[in-house]
Amino acid sequence: MSELSVNHLLGIKYITKADIDLIFETADHFKEIINRPIKKVPSLRDITIANLFFENSTRTKLSFELAEKRLSADVINFSAGASSVKKGETLIDTVNNILSMKVDMVVMRHPNPGAGVFLSKNIKASIVNAGDGAHEHPTQALLDSYSISKKLGDVGGKKVVIVGDILHSRVALSNIFALKLLGAEVKVCGPKTLMPKYIESLGVEVELNLRKALEWCDVANMLRVQNERMDISYFPSTREYTQQYGLNKELLDSLDKEIVVMHPGPINRGVEITSDVADSGQSIILNQVENGVAIRMAVIYLLASKIKQQ
Amino acid sequence: MNARITQATLLDGSNPHHGKQVDIRIEKGIITEIASTLEAKKNEDLINFENLSVSPGWFDSSVSIGEPGYEERETIKNGLLVAAKSGFTGIALNPNCYPVPDTSSSIAFLQNKAANNAVQLYPIGALTQKSEGVDLAELYDMQQAGAIAFGDYQHAIKNPNLLKIALQYTQGFNGLVLSFPQEDDLIIKGMANEGETAIKLGLKGMPALAEHLQIARDLYILEYTGGKLHIPTISTAQSVALIKDAKAKGLDVTCSVAITNLFFTDAALEDFDTRYKVTPPLRNEADREALVAGIKDGTIDMVTSDHNPLDIEQKKLEFDHAKFGTIAQEATLGALLTLVSEKKAVQLLTAGRKRFTQTTSKIEVGQPANLSLFTTKGSNTFTKEMILSKSKNAAFLGAKLKGKVYGIIANKQFIAS
Repeated sequence: MSELSVNHLLGIKYITKADIDLIFETADHFKEIINRPIKKVPSLRDITIANLFFENSTRTKLSFELAEKRLSADVINFSAGASSVKKGETLIDTVNNILSMKVDMVVMRHPNPGAGVFLSKNIKASIVNAGDGAHEHPTQALLDSYSISKKLGDVGGKKVVIVGDILHSRVALSNIFALKLLGAEVKVCGPKTLMPKYIESLGVEVELNLRKALEWCDVANMLRVQNERMDISYFPSTREYTQQYGLNKELLDSLDKEIVVMHPGPINRGVEITSDVADSGQSIILNQVENGVAIRMAVIYLLASKIKQQ
Repeated sequence: MNARITQATLLDGSNPHHGKQVDIRIEKGIITEIASTLEAKKNEDLINFENLSVSPGWFDSSVSIGEPGYEERETIKNGLLVAAKSGFTGIALNPNCYPVPDTSSSIAFLQNKAANNAVQLYPIGALTQKSEGVDLAELYDMQQAGAIAFGDYQHAIKNPNLLKIALQYTQGFNGLVLSFPQEDDLIIKGMANEGETAIKLGLKGMPALAEHLQIARDLYILEYTGGKLHIPTISTAQSVALIKDAKAKGLDVTCSVAITNLFFTDAALEDFDTRYKVTPPLRNEADREALVAGIKDGTIDMVTSDHNPLDIEQKKLEFDHAKFGTIAQEATLGALLTLVSEKKAVQLLTAGRKRFTQTTSKIEVGQPANLSLFTTKGSNTFTKEMILSKSKNAAFLGAKLKGKVYGIIANKQFIAS
């Protein structure tokens, strides 16, 4: 049985293609299980997992919790709102306090880039990064690539465009790393103000025109505009953003091929994507959510088996 | 203090003994004899080290300590000992304490605290009241109390009219104005050099443009006003070019570079290691090479440690929350010798004295002994044990360095490293 090359999942840039293949293979197995009448396996009865969310999240938190429970792990949840973080406790102290209650694995979302990497160097537990600032969101990228592979077969050679706020997006960054690792061609599309200046250094091309980007691609991953991460206004109005970078049915139908439409959620309907596109046959948004649970089960299962070896 | 230094290679390009091996006799703190060999006298200490070099005492133009206000970072007493053991006989102390030294009494406090030390502490006064960037502090009064220059530590002078007035006003008493090169509106919450590394790490970028824009503006103002401007710690290739042009025009401008920016690039940040979180940020290799070229061709006048002790509570944090800064004084000579010749290194480490204090230190009979003692031979790895500062935030840990400091002679004292 193969194993992951890492003890934590901190980001896609820290793992290999073989790791991704193994995670996908394992996810296939779990996907089959969660579609059974009894959706649960006893694999992780001896593992306790803490979900530490220092930033708001609904779907990622639910998805992780469901994945953990379906593996029969013991789960504790923590969110920053009700914590001592607001009393001035440091991250290391907060997490070490939780770990003294004998926790084996930490799933953490945090507003600061590198928070997971920082923690992995200072505490003894396996860490899964559930999003750290504008750095990485590795399970999202894994489930996105997994969803593409389920829909279109091998990700290698596919043309994927990521549309929207690339500057503030951990989803974009992790997706770029994952897609490149799997051999896809990647373009990013959005207003120039939301593109990091040297983004081409990651081996992606910038396309400022949405129609051209869509004509080129097999898959369009529409990102949410993250107003909460913006210190200043990067475009004059949401209305104007939608005019240039919103995906509507008319635009989708005018393309001479059927592209696959993705969105990591939560959707701002009518902003980056209209309802009729989100709910169309070309959209795999809900498949992404379902695959998310299988991917997270796979990641947790594989990391837990490394803990058991120690 | 009476001492005889033996078999020392004198390094000072402007000295007739430069490059020669000499003995130097010091009596009551004054140099009384320099010759190829000197006889021993009674009641004098013998100072003799392996491969010893001696140069005029070095001057560090940007040093932070902490006291008063941030004693947990560093005290003046230990801070000056760190400087001495790192080879510096004079330091310009940044107004990086609390309250900010913006009055003559706060300058006098710093002077008194450092009195009778081997290392001379030269306070930099805040340019504006509380370093808020709004109203000028009492610059002349501070100068009378001992302030040698005026600047708001790591804050640019945002208002162009304020810089204009500062450069005009200080001409009446030959004051030196420091303008930190960073246009804050282009930085916002930037954490690292804008570039591939920052993108990969999801860190907000600090564009080089922010530095160029500020320097270009400041030089325009200087051209209009006249006066004396010093730009501390530049970090990009374009900044070197801008200052080169200004000097060619004859403007009275000098600049420094931090040893950390000469030695490292932003690639060091790969692991979110907060030891490398500094201002100005570590840039890319092309910038670093341009900085090295700048110290070699004289565009950059001086090298500083930009020593900034920060206690672990300020550094062992998520990258966004950690403070900017590193200690570097202990590694300054060693790092600089990996980049330039020993003669050039001495020049870069001594040039700040004239600009900041309008004095020079010469190795001549009749002059007070103000000397740095070191070797340029051998290499070593900078380890935890070599940290002398109270705070341990050292970017240079693990770096391969050259040479070693033996100590200083200054203010009638010999401090051995």
